[in-house]
Amino acid sequence: MNPEQKKEGILKDQKPYLADVIVIDDEESMCEGCKQTLEAVGYRAAFARNGEDGLKLIETAHPYVVLVDLKMPGIPGTEVISRIPKIDATVVPIIITGYGTIDSAVESMKIGAFDFITKPFGPDKLLESVRRGIKLSELRKEQQIGDEREKAPKLDKHEVLLRGLTVLSESYSVDLPRQNFLDELKYLETEAKYHAQMLGQVKKEEKAILDVVQELRIVDEIVDRHNFQKNMLIQILLEIQATLRWLPRYVLKWVAARLDIPLADIMTITNFYEAFSLEPQGRHTIQVCLGTACHVRGAPELLTKVSAVLGIKPGQTDTTQTFTLNTVHCLGCCALAPVLKIDETYYSDPSLDEMKEIFKSYATQEELSWQK
Amino acid sequence: MAKIMSPLELSTLRKELIQKSRSKAISITICSGTGCIACGSKDLALAFTKELEKYNLLGRVAVRETGCHGFCERGPVVVIAPSNICYLKVGEPDIAEIVAKTILENQIIERLVYEDPNTHQRLANLNDIPFYKHQKRVLLEQNVLVNPTSISDYIAVDGYSALVKALLYSKPDDIVKTIKDAHLRGRGGGGFPTGAKWETTRNAPGDVKYVIVNADEGDPGAYMDRSLMEGNPHGVLEGLIIGGYAIGAQEGYIYIRQEYPLALKNTEKAIQQARDYGFLGKNILGTDFSFDVIIHRGAGAFVSGESSALMNAIEGHVGEPRPKYIHTSVKGLWERPSCLNNVETWANVPHIVNKGVEWFRSMGTAHSKGTKIFSLVGKVNNTGLVEVPMGISLKKIIYDIGGGIPKAKKFKAVQTGGPSGGVLPEKLLNLPVDFDALTEAGSMMGSGGLIVMDEDTCIVDTARYYINFLAHESCGKCLPCREGLRQMLKILTNITEGNGNEGDIELLEELCELLTKTSLCALGQSAANPVTSALKYFRAEFEAHIQDKRCPAGVCKNLFCYEVDTKKCKACGACFKTCPADAIKWEKKQVAEIIQEKCIKCGACIAACPAKFNAIKKIHVKPVLQEC
Repeated sequence: MNPEQKKEGILKDQKPYLADVIVIDDEESMCEGCKQTLEAVGYRAAFARNGEDGLKLIETAHPYVVLVDLKMPGIPGTEVISRIPKIDATVVPIIITGYGTIDSAVESMKIGAFDFITKPFGPDKLLESVRRGIKLSELRKEQQIGDEREKAPKLDKHEVLLRGLTVLSESYSVDLPRQNFLDELKYLETEAKYHAQMLGQVKKEEKAILDVVQELRIVDEIVDRHNFQKNMLIQILLEIQATLRWLPRYVLKWVAARLDIPLADIMTITNFYEAFSLEPQGRHTIQVCLGTACHVRGAPELLTKVSAVLGIKPGQTDTTQTFTLNTVHCLGCCALAPVLKIDETYYSDPSLDEMKEIFKSYATQEELSWQK
Repeated sequence: MAKIMSPLELSTLRKELIQKSRSKAISITICSGTGCIACGSKDLALAFTKELEKYNLLGRVAVRETGCHGFCERGPVVVIAPSNICYLKVGEPDIAEIVAKTILENQIIERLVYEDPNTHQRLANLNDIPFYKHQKRVLLEQNVLVNPTSISDYIAVDGYSALVKALLYSKPDDIVKTIKDAHLRGRGGGGFPTGAKWETTRNAPGDVKYVIVNADEGDPGAYMDRSLMEGNPHGVLEGLIIGGYAIGAQEGYIYIRQEYPLALKNTEKAIQQARDYGFLGKNILGTDFSFDVIIHRGAGAFVSGESSALMNAIEGHVGEPRPKYIHTSVKGLWERPSCLNNVETWANVPHIVNKGVEWFRSMGTAHSKGTKIFSLVGKVNNTGLVEVPMGISLKKIIYDIGGGIPKAKKFKAVQTGGPSGGVLPEKLLNLPVDFDALTEAGSMMGSGGLIVMDEDTCIVDTARYYINFLAHESCGKCLPCREGLRQMLKILTNITEGNGNEGDIELLEELCELLTKTSLCALGQSAANPVTSALKYFRAEFEAHIQDKRCPAGVCKNLFCYEVDTKKCKACGACFKTCPADAIKWEKKQVAEIIQEKCIKCGACIAACPAKFNAIKKIHVKPVLQEC
């Protein structure tokens, strides 16, 4: 960026410039400050010094979140906010203003702002608000895609019936009695709904069912790779666990059917070994080592601290589904005792502050990769 | 790569490889064991390569990432050969200096060199550092020389020459006899004579036989097997192939815990390379002998390390043991004769075949020969992996190699043999490391965990810790183990919480005897050891918990609390800011106060309180008596 453009704050001549967050404020120090804070954690940020430029920038940069100052020369902030949905309905506006009163907060929410930050504010407040805004925007984008799919020419009811009949006829050819076939289908459908609910995700039923199909195909691939050998059961389950991060009921039932092993036998194995989880796991797994070397060097205290920082007990997943906390008997890292491991990285006896930083970095990383 | 079909081809290849490595006068080896990776050794190799490139030195200096060097406490460890300069705690910022000074001008960078904590003397040469000086590194030596993902490196250090010797110049019976004569004993814990085991399987009826590597290192506080599988998988593999030949097996299994991802990766790679070079597969080295190896990943269960349980697991069943009226060496995996040995045992085989029985027997005591790797961990200055000749005293390991106890604390006990072993007090420190001597003292050799405890470690808490571990890991098949351990845990928990009663100790002793005599497998039979030995040597500490409701070491949470010394507190608020439980009351210019009801006793406040104030202290308290 050359100094001239920097002064202008808007990159008119450049090719479509993508930004995750746009700041619209007449105060340059404000714009620069926000930009630096946002870029420090990996967001792409841009800014404009008035409403008009800001709206143009939104059109080209496709941001997730726009931070708008209420009081600006030219088009006022409220006007900017009300015009944003016409450009891109998935963009989430957040208000920044020096007039921190309840009234202006209520007013700005009414016109469609998502959040409200009062000047002066610290980086934490800004990032927190932006993060939530981006999540919302992502949801909206997903929704939009879903809506568009709905707009696509719908299958005719009769066409669906005919397809169903074809599948039914095929079920005879594989020697699957009609009632069994329907029962199995119904079971998988119920499981799909239950599954969506368990994960706490807002999923449409048809999407949940398609997810189940996709997961079972993955399972089939793994089973196939091991030539349907019964003695490879533990290896197969380990691979499924590694791919799906947990073992849903219908997957176990599927494996039982594919390998011709009673479900009870499979459940015995999944309950016996520590590697298997029968509940959904967070996106990152934290393992606190409770090996003897760690124990005598203070693993119980470390576990207490982790538990207190995350607000979850061993075996639990936090509400945002980011971390699952587990204990493990020995990671074989005794020289670094006490040690905790997040995914594949080991941390030796972090202090409370370091720990907070580490957890934060995982949460941020996640948002970064999730943006891509 | 064309398969090697004869000894001549192998020796030609070895000569070529050695020639090639000689062209590089200096080699930089970077430890890439899990410990050093955790300390940040991952990017060092790349940084060294880049820096060397600047000086155009890549033709003269080799950079090698190797397995664990053992000195994990001071990682990342970098060794520069041939001068054997050892740099500790090396970070990326040090690299430019190392290349400019040490590589180019042969100067030693004092700051990165080992400093003796007592004499403050700086020791640059690897072999001068006490940690290495008092060791006898046979198995671990190759860890420093070999990149575990490179079969060429292994061949260059005489790798697979023992296989040649065995396959082409010995009969299977001769190999069995060699192992028998060497008096090699199982390194997994029991110390069963390996040769006798091999012979049983060799003579057992049946054509199909199996050899198995037990790398399900479940002992908490031990990581010898991990480092061997990570650092030199070909060494173990070569031992296994020789064993397969001697015993008459066609197939081998390696059972690795899935908690050891790097070991898994390196072993998988080693097997593939061995196949490519023709050390595995059909007609190995042009002989009639065919042999292949399969990896089985363990899914996390301590009891699955027991021989019959492990074989059950490989068959795809739950890894529970079975009564062994017939030994697994006769009827094991799929009811066929199966010979199971620990990683370290297999790794010894190529050395014995190569260097001979006499060499092996020259190390050790009357009934325990060779060397043993220990993971020296806990409250000791130089934690890490050490390999010592059998017969060395515990004192020598802990004080000469381990550098004694940190922070000038007093030594209290050392636990050998993991959860199946026992604690040994100071008066037994002169005990030699020997299978039989340790068993006699109420502990056992085990797979090699040596956990050092200082005065701040509570023996009752440690005993509870082990029983908790074992109760959790008991498969529940037999009653004494399932129920006995649970009851012992209950009693020990009561004692540590200040709810112990008169008679608890006697009850514990009774349960210990019951477990030892009536359990189905070794897990239950040896489960009482930690408690029996603790009661034998540290009975007074149990009594202090029961009678005075006092934890002398200040570990048991119910028996102590943190308190702010109001005279010393300077009202800085550091503890208030760090407390994760909101248990500290503080306002500006006011002395902090700990709200005991909220305190989770994590100790974060002690760490946060500036050392110059030192205002938070641990005090003994008696718990409010609870009606049970």
